[in-house]
Amino acid sequence: MREAITSLPGNPLQRIPGVAVTLVLLVAVFGSVAPGFLSPANITNVLVQSTVLMMLALPMTLIIMTEGLDLSMGAVLTFTSLVVAIVSLATGSMLLGLGAAILAGAVFGTVNGWLVATLGIPPFVATLGTLGTAQGLSLIISDGQSVVGIPHSVRDIYSATVAGVPVPVVIALVSYAAFHILLYHTRFGTYIFALGGNREALKYAGLASNRLLIAVYATGGMMAGVAGLLMTARMNSGHPTAGLGLEFDAIAAVAVGGTSFERGNGWLFGTALGVIAVGVLRNGLNLMALPSSIQVASVGLLVIVALFFDGLRSRS
Amino acid sequence: MSAAVQPAGDAPVTVPLLELRGISKEFPGVRALDDVSFAVWPGEVHMLLGENGAGKSSLMKVLCGADSADSGEFYHKGDKVRVSSTADAQKLGIAVIFQEFSLVPYLDIGQNIFLGREPSGRIPGTIDRRRILRDARRILDSIGFNIDPSILVEKLGVAQQQMVEIAKAISQNARILVMDEPTAALSDRETELLFALIARLKADGVAIIYISHRMAEVFALGDRITVLRDGRRIDELRPADASPDQLVRMMVGRTVDMSYPRHFAETPGKVLLEVRRLAAASGISDIDLEVRAGEIVGLCGLAGSGRTEVVRAIFGADKVTAGEIIFDGQQTSGGPDQAARRGIALIPENRKSEGLAPLRSVADNLVVSALRKLFPSHLFDPRRAQRVADGLVKQLRIATPTSRQMVGLLSGGNQQKVVIGKWLATGAKLFIFDEPTRGIDVGAKSEIFALIDRLVADGAAALMISSEQAEICHVCDRAYVMREGRIAGQLSRSELTEENIVRLGMHHA
Repeated sequence: MREAITSLPGNPLQRIPGVAVTLVLLVAVFGSVAPGFLSPANITNVLVQSTVLMMLALPMTLIIMTEGLDLSMGAVLTFTSLVVAIVSLATGSMLLGLGAAILAGAVFGTVNGWLVATLGIPPFVATLGTLGTAQGLSLIISDGQSVVGIPHSVRDIYSATVAGVPVPVVIALVSYAAFHILLYHTRFGTYIFALGGNREALKYAGLASNRLLIAVYATGGMMAGVAGLLMTARMNSGHPTAGLGLEFDAIAAVAVGGTSFERGNGWLFGTALGVIAVGVLRNGLNLMALPSSIQVASVGLLVIVALFFDGLRSRS
Repeated sequence: MSAAVQPAGDAPVTVPLLELRGISKEFPGVRALDDVSFAVWPGEVHMLLGENGAGKSSLMKVLCGADSADSGEFYHKGDKVRVSSTADAQKLGIAVIFQEFSLVPYLDIGQNIFLGREPSGRIPGTIDRRRILRDARRILDSIGFNIDPSILVEKLGVAQQQMVEIAKAISQNARILVMDEPTAALSDRETELLFALIARLKADGVAIIYISHRMAEVFALGDRITVLRDGRRIDELRPADASPDQLVRMMVGRTVDMSYPRHFAETPGKVLLEVRRLAAASGISDIDLEVRAGEIVGLCGLAGSGRTEVVRAIFGADKVTAGEIIFDGQQTSGGPDQAARRGIALIPENRKSEGLAPLRSVADNLVVSALRKLFPSHLFDPRRAQRVADGLVKQLRIATPTSRQMVGLLSGGNQQKVVIGKWLATGAKLFIFDEPTRGIDVGAKSEIFALIDRLVADGAAALMISSEQAEICHVCDRAYVMREGRIAGQLSRSELTEENIVRLGMHHA
């Protein structure tokens, strides 16, 4: 039995994931053609702008690992960012705004999980339903208008630094670390691999897979709440279309990062690289003054390119 | 029942470690277990023997608490206990190693062994992954499996996964270990390792319930043999008191309705299908067979012996790696669409998922495969389709109020007729049936066979997979018996008995 093990793919070149190749290529290309791309200010800008996406892509990784999907994340983010704006405006407290946003996100996430786990509705359809609901509620609570005049304490989140590092980046790093520990060093994380890989195994281990699944979706909602704070701080207002289409970028980042949509094969660090790749792409195209419609198309292209490299690797 | 096998250094054992009394379990339409009693003593290997559908899997599910019995009692060391969940079974030290593994592909070996029982780490809420690896290595060493526990299960072969399953059971301190055909996927060397491990477990006083189809194993390992048939316990005996032939006789003889008609042709027609030294990527090799017009030819063997793989290769659904398939005088290649166009019909085992569009009408289902033939102009004529469908409904005596009825609402037997009719409309000449009577009630079975009989009487040919050996014996002109991906032998009409089929299909001592 030993022989089979030593014959594992050992070529280190084959082990370099597609997302790393893609990221290096992107940086090289934009570094040479986009003016000012490699300036320290712009690199900081890319990282800061990627933080909202990171908040969504981390839990999206877990959800996709369960062979699920959350299409509602962008719309829920819109809703939570409005909650941050409205609550902080009414109370003057950033923390109350954040707390309310996390709570609202958790409700949406739990509903998603309940629809998928308990009612057995396919994730695509269930979260499409909550997408519509969250978008509609956002229009209702904002009356279709931007919520302006929010307290400084919210706006400062985006501009403040800790030891020279922008606070949003600190929040993203802490979130990444928390998700790393959650996925690789807790029981809950271990069972996420089983939710996608072999749910029967959980049953034979005497574990309730439905409750675990609901918790995974709820985590996604709560992170959309945290992202809502960053979004409102960044725009200095609550806007009823703030998160439009962000679920697409989040799913793209996860796919680019090498997480498979089947059998619980996920890679959290790949997702982080995928988020930065999406951020680099959008920023580079911006610097080259290309319209945002091109950006959406290129993110789609990015997914295809990264998966192409992964496909090459797994076939060889 | 002299307790010949005693755990070392203990007082004589007078009560079984686990005893089941009068276990019955019914599923809609099937009596899966009928008053089965069964006992295992510590330190013995109890062989469970029976054909497909004899009740072995049902008994295993009841044993491990995944299914609960309708009636019957469990006794653990003489005390009456309840086993109504997998947790109950685990508490009694029962662990089952299923053929479909309960492993998670993208967790490592250690995490799989301790799934659901992870030791806590120093930081609250975390798990101690280093300890998992350390403990896993110790357990793997104890069963003589030398592998790094930090390797993902995804990277392992089937045999290695089997060993991880065993390690998982050992780590739960299993005292009663149930193994379902554990050597099915193992090489000879790996089988030796497993047998050595079983000997060590026996010496430790572990009771092992071992399901096998291989006679050699039954006699090499078994301390006690229980034979099941039709959900009933036929006999319990010691290997010394049994012979392979005797066991085979006990396993066969299932009660099957024999009232279906069959008109055997005096002389079979021309060769319609000829398969020469066929091999396929799915694991079959050296397949030689022929089917003549007017014949029903059986393809038997145990589940997993490669029967379905052979018909899939003939139909072009699996990649053929060697050999040739000659149909109606022409060598064939290409996919299922090619095979269907040439006149080969495959009636799959899972009618609902593979053979029918259950939400569409009887008429739609009947004409769907023949669209090209019925409408060469590529324009659909609903009236013509309706006429063809109505004709088939009448010809096949499909019991449906109208041909507009949804197929999913028909009985199993009538659904099967629709699948056959669908191919009849295309003018198929060779009908391949995979378990044609599965899930069909007795009355409808004889109608299906009457239909197949009429098909071949009209010049078609049929190749039929069935696990119901009595059916094969009753309706087939000849039969091929498969074992481990190869044809183990051919039985002519006069040799076609259940005993001969089982004998050829099993490993003989």
